[in-house]
Amino acid sequence: MSQETLTALRANRAAENSIRAGFVHYLKGAMRGDLGESTSRNAPIADLLTQNAPATLRRLGIGLAGAWLGGLGMAILVARFRQSWLLESAVSMTAGTLLSLPAAVLAYFCLTAGIAVETVLILVLVPRVFRFSRNLLVQAYGSSHIDMARARGISETRILFGHVLRSAAPQMAALVAASLSMAVGAIIPIEAICDAAGLGRLAWQAAMSRDLPLLVNLTMLIAMVTTAAMAIAELAPLRPGESS
Amino acid sequence: MKSTRPAQLFAIVFLTFVGISALVPRLWTPDSYETQLREALDAPPSARFPLGTEALGRDRMARLLYGTRVSLALAPAAALLSCLVAALVGGLAGLAGGWTERTVLASVDLFMSLPWLFLLLTVRAMLPLNVSPLVSLGITFGLLGLLSWPASARVVRAAIHALRDSDFILQARASGVTPWRLISRQLIPNVMPVLLAQFWIAVPVFILAEATLGMLGLGVSEPLPSWGSMLRELEGGNLRAQPWIAAPAVLLAAVVGCFQLIFPREDYSI
Repeated sequence: MSQETLTALRANRAAENSIRAGFVHYLKGAMRGDLGESTSRNAPIADLLTQNAPATLRRLGIGLAGAWLGGLGMAILVARFRQSWLLESAVSMTAGTLLSLPAAVLAYFCLTAGIAVETVLILVLVPRVFRFSRNLLVQAYGSSHIDMARARGISETRILFGHVLRSAAPQMAALVAASLSMAVGAIIPIEAICDAAGLGRLAWQAAMSRDLPLLVNLTMLIAMVTTAAMAIAELAPLRPGESS
Repeated sequence: MKSTRPAQLFAIVFLTFVGISALVPRLWTPDSYETQLREALDAPPSARFPLGTEALGRDRMARLLYGTRVSLALAPAAALLSCLVAALVGGLAGLAGGWTERTVLASVDLFMSLPWLFLLLTVRAMLPLNVSPLVSLGITFGLLGLLSWPASARVVRAAIHALRDSDFILQARASGVTPWRLISRQLIPNVMPVLLAQFWIAVPVFILAEATLGMLGLGVSEPLPSWGSMLRELEGGNLRAQPWIAAPAVLLAAVVGCFQLIFPREDYSI
């Protein structure tokens, strides 16, 4: 490589190698709608993001919906029939086993078994949603107004929907936002191991090829999404796990 | 998980057994983790090699035990680093109050808004990837420790905040106790249980994080084994034909499960 080529390459990378200069350069470009170019793929970053975002958003949507259905459903069952140690033990053991495995290992096992990528995300999120929401529901079931409702002969279904879920709703709302952050974190190893196109695999490939412009853009994008979700969560009066 | 005393006792005994096996791997295998046995490439399990050998002819059991030593020794080290940073930052915020506290809390919130694994991946990618195994070990666990303090810092700040306004601290101040003595004799001993809980919660989280980084090729590099680097074998192997290659995943799940039994927590990091 000639000296001129080296000098030109160094000049091109100078802005990226300096965090401050790189960030200012990035912000100036972003104001004009130009997110820069990926160094590993030689393609505009905006194009890469628009190509990969739909698949990841679809997966996150399905994963979160499935996890909430499964996790909250199990939590309601366990909280409702909390005298049944067999049910509690079986569900808690399943959740504990899933929590003990990294998302990447779960992704590999599911890939080997031919299970869909979205299911992996559900399996990663279900135990987390279950544990948080079970605690909230058990806490809500323990309130004195629930005992009073039972004493007045109100049906268990009405107690669940009219009182328990209602009193746990603010914390649940906060948990929905928190679960989005968990899902975004889990999608990287899942898409990378399952070789599924999306922002997670893009982030992993950018990390492996040290494509800093692409990583910076992905970081900014994900930071904006999760900060917005957390800001919504802050609107809820209490965070999960805090006592009322 | 609602754990009973026998379950916790079992978990402690199991972790002790794993710890001793990792410290003294010769109890189980005479080989070293890097010894290549060219006459036994990809050998199935046998009396000589209980978990078979991998493609380079290295004893999988030896690698698993040395890898366990690496993961079980360095996850607590990273947890200690994380707790120290959390104690410093949370302690400063809790003691100073005012705009310092607000600034620290805002920074912590900003830090926590990014998914942890994503942050880890980004920062790890900015550091050299082609480094010696020992350097990769230091980078992996150093990053785990340095990037995971915000949640603990919040907890420490809350504990210090509560202590700062307590009667015995006000009395100590009124008696003219110096700030250093107040911190060393009153605050640190009272915050220690909180820090200890954060430490034990962080250990399994770091074990899982190292495993994920290792599977993604951003963890400890060869030939040094760790649970993460050993799990990479799953990707190239055939689990149906060679189920024993899942041994690191089984051991990891068992160890993290035991930590869950002893120190229950709602959310273990992904």
